[in-house]
Amino acid sequence: MQVRTAMSYRTDYLFSLIGLLVQVFLLTVVWRSVYHGRDTVSGIDLSAQLAYTTIGTVQYWLFSPWTFSIVPERVRTGRIAVDLVRPLPFLGQITAAQVGLTAGVAPFAVLALPIAILIGGAAAPGSVLAGFAYGLSFVLAYCLATLFGAVVGMVAFWTTEVSGFFMLYRMVGQFLAGALVPLWFMPGWLSALAYVFPFQAMNYTPLAIYLGRDHGGRIVVDLGVQVGWLALAAGLLLLVWSRALRRVISQGG
Amino acid sequence: MPLIRVEGLVKEFRRTRRREGRFGALRTLLTRQYDVRRAVDGVSFGIDAGELVGYLGPNGAGKSTTIKMLTGILVPTSGVVEVDGHVPWRERERNARNIGVVFGQRSQLWWDLPLIDSLQLISRLYDVRGVEYARALRRFTELLDLGEFLHTPVRQLSLGQRMRGDLAAAMLYAPRLLYLDEPTVGLDVVAKERVRGFVEELRAGGDTTVVLTTHDLDDVERLCQRIVLIDHGKVLYDGGIGTLKARYAPYRELVVSLADEPASAVEIPGLDVVRREDQFLAVRISAESTGVADVVATILSRHRVADFAIVEPELEGVIREIYANRAVKP
Repeated sequence: MQVRTAMSYRTDYLFSLIGLLVQVFLLTVVWRSVYHGRDTVSGIDLSAQLAYTTIGTVQYWLFSPWTFSIVPERVRTGRIAVDLVRPLPFLGQITAAQVGLTAGVAPFAVLALPIAILIGGAAAPGSVLAGFAYGLSFVLAYCLATLFGAVVGMVAFWTTEVSGFFMLYRMVGQFLAGALVPLWFMPGWLSALAYVFPFQAMNYTPLAIYLGRDHGGRIVVDLGVQVGWLALAAGLLLLVWSRALRRVISQGG
Repeated sequence: MPLIRVEGLVKEFRRTRRREGRFGALRTLLTRQYDVRRAVDGVSFGIDAGELVGYLGPNGAGKSTTIKMLTGILVPTSGVVEVDGHVPWRERERNARNIGVVFGQRSQLWWDLPLIDSLQLISRLYDVRGVEYARALRRFTELLDLGEFLHTPVRQLSLGQRMRGDLAAAMLYAPRLLYLDEPTVGLDVVAKERVRGFVEELRAGGDTTVVLTTHDLDDVERLCQRIVLIDHGKVLYDGGIGTLKARYAPYRELVVSLADEPASAVEIPGLDVVRREDQFLAVRISAESTGVADVVATILSRHRVADFAIVEPELEGVIREIYANRAVKP
């Protein structure tokens, strides 16, 4: 149903798409200026950097929709009451809604990709293996972004006013996920910090695999880290939900 | 065994105490002080299968909180809730299959989608398929007259239409139990009548147990045999409407319209006259005193009368008095 709800606001997504393309364009301009005629900076080709920017921006747009959890809105409006009288597990409901939302906007991402490539640039995957590994890592990254979004969304059960906290999550997340600047250009301490958080596994990891930056045994480690975060996120979600259930207060009426 | 069993049910809400003055918001954030409010304070009742019970009380009495515990949305602080032998909040999904819920203040329908899409999805959620779904849809489309707006997005429906859609959605899978939380709030007279007619139809069918909360006492008088009255989270009265009325207003009124003289002309000893206005005369007839027939005969023997009317006591006056006193007469 969330798919169809997303579809009834097509113009909204069209505008969001324009924003996405503008972002690709601006980042491309910045990177071209940074490279300033050089082919390689710190061992990274300009073409690879542009491909990272293009694919990464589209991927991040797809994984991190503005509403990364439907829970806060449901709690604030009291719709949560309706959700809870359905004969379905609540966590299943919110996950399905989130996947549905992504499925609704995915065609736009597919539409945007060729245009983004035209504006920015692209590169083939580092190798056939890298291509497959990217596919796997991409799926893991999506699951991770969705589960963490769900965990963070649950905060709404404790405090109704969540927009400030969400803004922080979004901003810090976007940066540490390497959505603006790839981890390889971050100073050592900062990229080390990024590896402590799950965000890089939601966006940077698949890109690094795709471009062949991470290869061989490193890919296995990358995927292992993603799976580890996934298990942790799932456990966290179950724990938070079991406690949140007792906090349901359901606004109004 | 009753279908719904509630015993000593308590629900407390904790709310962080707000600090006043400078940095009040910040101190509120850091503080660990709570105000505890008992929304439901030791409520007990039982409802048998097939009953239609009105659950009444002033705003903030704890009605909706009780309903939310019965539906499994809220976890009680203490006490027993059992619906059909199961504890709703512990077996929420199982309980959900057995119940239909209509909240007058919010809709379970998908806001942006046509009504028919919501109904279809709900039928799938509750495993109502094929012929069964077609039959249920036809029945409710007819009963609630949904035909003209089945394909309209819910956000464009009028309140009355939306409520009819919600009723259909709640009954589509023929639940044993239906909770109606203020189903007529904000509706015009025609739309109210539709909702009441529908509930009456359900009651006549006899398969559905209905718990109705409302502020509209016409709903109650028309639909319920029994009411549970609560205030401040406690049960004030549980029983028949007739009994309650008899306790508060153990009399009826006979309104006499005189043919050719003002009401002031009537002077009959022993007659309990409550009002006189132009040619109208209102006489109180208590349950213990002489019957209506005797009073009518007495008046007719002395005056020419154009018309008689008997006015039954209204529940509204009774409830108003209970709310004002916050207690029920023994």
